[in-house]
Amino acid sequence: MLEVRNGGFETTVQDYPGRIGMLSLGFAPAGPMDDYAFRFANVLVGNPPGAAGLEITAGGLVVAFHDERAFAVCGADMAARLNGQPVVLWRSYRARPGDVLEFDYLQGAGFRTYLAVSGGIDVPPVLGSRSTYLPGSVGGLDGRKLQAGDRLPLGEPRVDLGQVIDRRVRADLIPGYAGYNEVWEVEATRGPQADPDYMTREDMDAFFSHHWKLDAASNRTGYRLDIYKWQWARTSGGAGGGHPSNIIDNGYPVGAVNVCGDQPIILCIDGPTLGGFICNAVVAKAAMWKLGQMVPGWSYIHFKEVSLEEAIELLARQDASISEENLERS
Amino acid sequence: MAERTIRSPLPGIFYRQPSPDAEPFVKEGDVIQPGTVIGLVGVMKTFHQITADSGGRVVRFLVENEEPIRPGQEIAVLTDAGDE
Repeated sequence: MLEVRNGGFETTVQDYPGRIGMLSLGFAPAGPMDDYAFRFANVLVGNPPGAAGLEITAGGLVVAFHDERAFAVCGADMAARLNGQPVVLWRSYRARPGDVLEFDYLQGAGFRTYLAVSGGIDVPPVLGSRSTYLPGSVGGLDGRKLQAGDRLPLGEPRVDLGQVIDRRVRADLIPGYAGYNEVWEVEATRGPQADPDYMTREDMDAFFSHHWKLDAASNRTGYRLDIYKWQWARTSGGAGGGHPSNIIDNGYPVGAVNVCGDQPIILCIDGPTLGGFICNAVVAKAAMWKLGQMVPGWSYIHFKEVSLEEAIELLARQDASISEENLERS
Repeated sequence: MAERTIRSPLPGIFYRQPSPDAEPFVKEGDVIQPGTVIGLVGVMKTFHQITADSGGRVVRFLVENEEPIRPGQEIAVLTDAGDE
């Protein structure tokens, strides 16, 4: 059992790949915003990469261990400390009963960090996943973010603790994060409604060259980018509505760039599953983790166009890299 | 007496008042108690209160209303209530 002494700003239970296969029923997948750091944290402690762990957003979490467990913290630096001693990111440690793990506020680039504990967080799965879907109050612990007094059940570890502590992720696989006012390069494919039918070629050229500012009002549902005066290929949305960004309602891909009027919004993993605005691009699945480490109000995005084949190849390489073989003894 | 600062634990947009038409939470010269709300940080469509951890007199704000702030950024300066 893991005892929550302070829930921090927004800490939720997530698993990977989340509640998939239910977009047609209106369920977003949820899951970790940065699935790269999340999966590596699990691999470090000997869990399956998708086992349930904690997503800690912007810091402030304090937990106490009641069992001897391996744990790892991967992602943004929140000056984590175990009983006051600094915890190095991307590394596995031993926690003993009574040990207290504390996260301060963000210390630099990045926005979310992930805590994996050997055995995983054993909340009951809901519709096939332990992920917390906050807008629907579903999954995780009672469908909500964590708060002081919560007690999180833990599962049985798969391997002996001695085999999985004191390991670290190979240095070249630890990603660097773009800092405040810096630009993230995000791989994206052209979307289902791009040029020439919905936008002009010039609109798409601008989309793939502009440095888009991430609005402070961005969260796991959507990442709002700046208003842009598009040319549009059509004068109206026809049967879909009066504005050329309107279409007849259709399903939205996860990671779609949804253009509502003049404003592009990236639909994140808690985002809407259908609607009546165009999607001119889709973030490559292997690049979705970058969204999780951007700082709302401070980060910029440059979309780098990739083909569908390249996006699939990026994902295959990423999935293959998140492996026991890429850990070292620390 | 030494001045001390109140910091924001969060990045986001800083607001000095609870709503656009309302009075500021606190003004320069006000004497405040530990736990007094001095402003809000808006991020991810939620608002987080910034509170004073000690009491004192508000000397000045270091951040304008609606200015973007970084985690750990100093927001306001306090001094002891008796000091002018």
